Amino acid sequence: MNESTTPRRFDPWPAGVQPQVPIEGYPSTWDFTPSQSLFPRPATRTELTGPFELWRKLPCSENNLAVVSPGRTAQGQLIHIEGRILDEDGKPVRGAVVELWQANAAGRYRHALDQRAAPLDPDFIGNGRVRTDEEGRYAFFTIKPGAYPVPVKDTWWRPPHVHFSVLGPSTLSRLVTQMYFPADPLNDWDRILNSVPDPVARTRLIARQLPPAEVGDGWLGFRHDIVLRGRNATPVTP
Amino acid sequence: MTSTRFTPLSQHTIGPFFPATFFQEGDNDLTRVSADAPPTERGERIVLRGRLTKLNGAPVVNGIVELWQADSAGRFRHPEDPAWQEADPNFLGWGRAWTDADGQYSFHTVIPGGYVEGNQWRAPHANILIMAAGLMRPVHTTLFFPDFAEANAADPVLAVLPAALRPRLVAVDDGRTDGVRAFRFDIRLRAGRDEETPFFEV
Repeated sequence: MNESTTPRRFDPWPAGVQPQVPIEGYPSTWDFTPSQSLFPRPATRTELTGPFELWRKLPCSENNLAVVSPGRTAQGQLIHIEGRILDEDGKPVRGAVVELWQANAAGRYRHALDQRAAPLDPDFIGNGRVRTDEEGRYAFFTIKPGAYPVPVKDTWWRPPHVHFSVLGPSTLSRLVTQMYFPADPLNDWDRILNSVPDPVARTRLIARQLPPAEVGDGWLGFRHDIVLRGRNATPVTP
Repeated sequence: MTSTRFTPLSQHTIGPFFPATFFQEGDNDLTRVSADAPPTERGERIVLRGRLTKLNGAPVVNGIVELWQADSAGRFRHPEDPAWQEADPNFLGWGRAWTDADGQYSFHTVIPGGYVEGNQWRAPHANILIMAAGLMRPVHTTLFFPDFAEANAADPVLAVLPAALRPRLVAVDDGRTDGVRAFRFDIRLRAGRDEETPFFEV
């Protein structure tokens, strides 16, 4: 079975899509990245499979980062991010686990390693996890994150961005990426976004602003579809 | 037959701030599907542990290690496995660990079974995915066990490596912990030719 389907299902990454490292001004891209060439790995069953009911291990019910306790809303611009998780055929990936994390409106993470002198918001933690529905849809209520400086010798700034981790149907479709906001001037200078050589691929990392009335109730809407590697990626439910 | 291709999104680093609040008790315990689920009754329970390091052997702090493996009989509860219905219902096969200030990670799991695919035998193994600040793409490797020298010698993934590098993907005996055998698998992200862990292009 696999002999005929595997090569078609997982093509190599298209040119210009993967970030180029090391990134100047981001020393960690040097210290952490393997120096030796990667070896090609045959796609056996272990690579083509993945946890089928991952939601049993990772609870997928946190879709509102802006209101972590009743009556207390985080500070910042309230936004709604929605989109679909798709495979390379454009087909929905059902039951994918989507994790999102981000800085608060002042550009600070609620994390022991973020010691920057910017305020923490007592009403914002900054992470959520949901599972895609039958149409591959996900959605989060949150606030727009702030920009923040990268603490290196020649400081540069990260534009507002949201981290995504998507666990799809197999190891090969695992994706970790970041989402940016449209028309932010910092996008043009961001060393991480611009490590992606293909300008069209960079554009795909930028969310689309929805007409303001679309979400309603005071949430500014953004749409961001996420394409995972692989075709025919959504297996039939056993 | 040609259809419209959608291009996958570019990968990015997780950065230094992957939320500690994402981690729940039991995330690194594969012997239970979730913290409140019954434990698996199949296979030999083990501890897998090691240290994740970067340039100059410095520890990777707040790195993420994800494990994916077959059950004790070499089956996956996934439709890609023709025998998925026989897979252990109390074994998800996936876990996630988080490295501490010294770069240490650990998992509780069972020794996976090997399996036949086509005309080849996969030796018992576990796939490992690592994410960390500065790693713009997750890195992938595969762990093998010292118990199965013969199967390891015939494994098609291990065979991709030059013979001199293969021992680096075989975990080492690390005594006993909590009454079960422990195996150590240190992962050197960047260490130069003589020490670096071999990683796979996926």
